[in-house]
Amino acid sequence: MVHDWNASIKRIQSVLSGSKRIDRVPYFGFVLEQMITRICGISVRTLFSSPKTYAHSTMMANEYVNTDIITLPTVYAGPGEAIAFAEANDRTNAIKWFDNKTVMVEQGVICKTEEECEKLKIPDHSKVKLWDTTYEAAKIIYQKTNFPQNVGLGIWSVVQQLRGIQAYRDMRENPEVLSTLCEKIYESQMDSYHNWIKKVGPSPFVFYTGYAFNRSMMSFEDAMKYEGQFIKRFQKETGVPFILHNCGFAPYFEEICEKIDFVAVNGSHPLDLNFWKNFKKKFPKVTIIGATIDVNQEILTGTPEDVEAKVKENILALAPGGRYCVGPICELPGNAPLPNIMAISSAIEKYGTYPIKEG
Amino acid sequence: MQSDEILTKLKESIIKGNKEEATEHTKSLVEAGFDPTHILEAGIVKATEEVGKLYERMEYYLPDLLIAADAMVAAMDILKPLLKQLFDEKLKGTVLIGAVEGDVHSIGKNLMITLLEGQGYEVVDLGTDVAPAKFVETAKEMKPDVIGLGGLLTTSITTMRDTVLQLRGENINSKIIVGGGILSQEACAMIGADDFATDGWEGLRKIKTFIESIRGS
Repeated sequence: MVHDWNASIKRIQSVLSGSKRIDRVPYFGFVLEQMITRICGISVRTLFSSPKTYAHSTMMANEYVNTDIITLPTVYAGPGEAIAFAEANDRTNAIKWFDNKTVMVEQGVICKTEEECEKLKIPDHSKVKLWDTTYEAAKIIYQKTNFPQNVGLGIWSVVQQLRGIQAYRDMRENPEVLSTLCEKIYESQMDSYHNWIKKVGPSPFVFYTGYAFNRSMMSFEDAMKYEGQFIKRFQKETGVPFILHNCGFAPYFEEICEKIDFVAVNGSHPLDLNFWKNFKKKFPKVTIIGATIDVNQEILTGTPEDVEAKVKENILALAPGGRYCVGPICELPGNAPLPNIMAISSAIEKYGTYPIKEG
Repeated sequence: MQSDEILTKLKESIIKGNKEEATEHTKSLVEAGFDPTHILEAGIVKATEEVGKLYERMEYYLPDLLIAADAMVAAMDILKPLLKQLFDEKLKGTVLIGAVEGDVHSIGKNLMITLLEGQGYEVVDLGTDVAPAKFVETAKEMKPDVIGLGGLLTTSITTMRDTVLQLRGENINSKIIVGGGILSQEACAMIGADDFATDGWEGLRKIKTFIESIRGS
């Protein structure tokens, strides 16, 4: 069956706007390098070898898994942004390629010293090959599917890549250096955003990776200082709705939604449906993407029946009234059994068609 | 200042994460002729327990835990040679640690190392993206009490399982603990490790328990 991207676009727009005119619960699944290369039988280097290969492989894998979103792996403010910094600062030796995993930069290598933080050069994303390939691939996907391609931004995810564990010492011992680094990353992220707008087109929303908002890592005050204030600036500058992603296991979802407007939150923790039911009541205009569907639980170690039960449970608890997307958090893992992966979309088809009665 | 008072100051400096003060107070205690094992147990270990309670109550966060651990390491740097003279052997226990093949995330692993070193354990860090064969080779040479396999990526679970299989296949009987936010009881069972930890503090507690069971407390 041919994938109906127009129906997917409608579903995503409806769920984010809170419209009741929605046929079924959307599937917000991240099919990134691991899954794309597995499904297409290619390596990550081949995937990134040309915009056409990148775009077509991404479409093929998303259509196979039957998601309602399509996004490119690079567009996530973590490894992709660190690669741009590595190239701009002649530190390509820190980049690590794997056959079927995300290309990564060794944590804490690029900004090991204070001097490296201070002298850090801001990348011009249009000159970074991987980013240029991404812009071209995003254009192809948009032309082929009509699915608007969105930008990914983030500060702390990049800080961790560049400065590693030292960033946590800086919070107490060297906050000025850390603030300088965050400012530089902000500048770089705006460059990435402006290049995207220029080369790909408008981004309907920003997918924001907010890794600082994790209570096992830092206080909420520190999270606001090193991430939250930048989100507010990004929002003012871009003027588009933001989706907050945090795949940590103790996120500050409630606290941050009281301070900053998000159109949706994307996470799988806490693994307590009552938290999410209460969240929905407290923030009725915020769409929940995920809730308790954790890629490290049933999807990885369970059976297709376990996955179906988990998806069903989330749909019945959170989908009535809209503003809910099924979304395993985080990316679909390349080592998960394929029947478990396929059980997600089957369960959505089975239980996610509106009207849905609360279970 | 009385020695007991200095011991209290040492604990406070560790809790506050003040390396310089921790160094200074440890030196003063050593110069005053305090038994190094007493400084360790009544000073550093007690301070660690207090830091752990603060972390568990969420009054301390990762940055506080880390700088407190740095202060412990600073104090241990002074005590280690003296403790080694006393016991004439490897200090309190040995841990081999690394992030598994395909995973280049180092924050959790580095925190774990700092916490372990702050407790006087001897740690060998293999770094990140470590192949199973490297773990096997080093474990054969070093015969660690505990092997810690770290990772952040979901795919690391499979690699952890492969690494454990190779270690056990080579008859390496060290306790194996896997660490990372991705882990659960189910994942640990799938990997075949002896235990798992989702944060550095939990990892420290579990490794301590393993080593105490092997060497006696």
